[in-house]
Amino acid sequence: MLADEELMHLVYRSDAVAFEVIYDRHADAAFSLAYRMCAQRALAEDVVQEAFLSLWRTRARYDRQRGSVRTWLLGIVHNRAIDALRRRAVRDRPIVHEEGIEERVAAPERTDAEFARREEAREIREALEQLPDEQSRVIELAYFGGMTHMQIAAMLDTPVGTIKGRMRLGLAKMRMALGDPAEVLR
Amino acid sequence: MSAHDHDLDAEGCGGNAAPYVLGALEQEEYEAFQHHLATCAVCREEVAALKLVADALPATAPQLSVPADLKSRIMATVQEEAGWQRAAESPEAGRRPAGARSGFSLRDWRPLGAVAAVAAVIAILAVAVQSGGGGGARTIRAQVSAPNASASLRVSGGHAELNVVGLPQTAPDRVYEVWIKRAGAPQPTDALFTVTAAGRASVGVPGALAGVKQIMVTSEPLGGSRVPTRAPVIVANLS
Repeated sequence: MLADEELMHLVYRSDAVAFEVIYDRHADAAFSLAYRMCAQRALAEDVVQEAFLSLWRTRARYDRQRGSVRTWLLGIVHNRAIDALRRRAVRDRPIVHEEGIEERVAAPERTDAEFARREEAREIREALEQLPDEQSRVIELAYFGGMTHMQIAAMLDTPVGTIKGRMRLGLAKMRMALGDPAEVLR
Repeated sequence: MSAHDHDLDAEGCGGNAAPYVLGALEQEEYEAFQHHLATCAVCREEVAALKLVADALPATAPQLSVPADLKSRIMATVQEEAGWQRAAESPEAGRRPAGARSGFSLRDWRPLGAVAAVAAVIAILAVAVQSGGGGGARTIRAQVSAPNASASLRVSGGHAELNVVGLPQTAPDRVYEVWIKRAGAPQPTDALFTVTAAGRASVGVPGALAGVKQIMVTSEPLGGSRVPTRAPVIVANLS
C-alpha cells in the first residue's frame, strides 16, 4: 500500500486513481472538520468539495517537508471553512448541529488504522478537555468557530491580550500533555 | 521599526503566534505577522511548536462519514481535468480535444511580462460598482477581456465571490487562477477553476478583502503559478 506522499507523486502526474485513494483515506476527516465548523451539512459538503479540488489543482505546490498530506488537506478545509463562515455570516446561527446527522452518518470503525487513529483522537480530546474552560473555550471559538481574537475578546468582554494569552497557554499545555503531537498525527 | 513591530514588542515577542496558528488573526495582522516571521527566529520556533497542536485539533471533532454522493461529484471533475492533462501531453497535444472548446483561445494570447501586463490592463479597464444585495453586500462588475463574457464580484462581510459567465474554457493543460493585489505584486491564491460549457463558474475568493485593491484572473498552467504568466482576463477594482 502506497503512503500518501508516494501517492502525491502520482497525483502530481494527474493520476486520478491515486487522487481517489487520497480522497478515500481522508474524506471522512475532512467532512468531520468541515461539519464541526459549519454545522450545516450542505455548507460542509461545499467546503470539502472546494478543499479536495484545491488539493487536486494545486498538487504541484505540495511539499512533503512542510507536513503530511492529511495535515495539508485539513489545513485547506480549515481555511475554506473559515472563509465560508466569515463570508456567509453563518456564525450567527444557533450553535447546534443538524438534528440526527451524527447518528445518520457516524463513521464505523473499519480498520486497525482507523481504530488507532481514534485512540489518538481520544488522547487529543482529553488534552483539550483537561484545559481550564477559559482556555479550551477560546481555542474552540477560534479554531472551530472561525472567530478572530478580537471578535472573541468582544464577545467575552475580555482584553485582547488576555485572549491571546489563554490561547497560547492552552496550546502549550496541550503540547506538553501530548508529548509529540506530530507523532500522534502520523 | 514599523508600527506593527512595535506592537509585537509591546505584547512580547510571540504574542501573535497562538492566534496565528489557530487562524484567529485579522487579515492585516496575519500578513504583518507573516512578515515578522521572516526575521524573528523566536516567533518561528513558537509557531512551529504551537502549530503541531493546532494541526491535531481536527481529531477532536466528532468523526463522521462523508456523504457518499460527494465523491462522485469531485471525481467527475478530477477525471475530466486529468483527461485534459493527458490530452495535452499526448503526441496530438497541439490538436483541440474532440468536443472541447471553440473560438477564443487563451493559447493565442501573446506572452507578456507579467507585471507590465497587469499594469497595462488595469490602466485601460473600467470597473463599475453597483449597489446590490442587502445587508451591506455590493456587486462589483469587473471588466473582462474575453469577448461576450462578463464577471462580477459579490462582496459581503469582507469576503468576495467571483461569478463569471461566457468565459472561454481553458486549454486542456491550463486553469484559471485568482490573484489578489494589495500593495506590490499580485499574490497567488489557491482558487483555481475551470468553467462549464456555458463559461460559468462561481469561485470564492480565499481570505479577507482588507487592503485588497484588485482581484484578477489569469490563465495559468495546471497547478497554478506563483507569479502571473499571462495578462489578466478579468480585473475587478475594489479600491
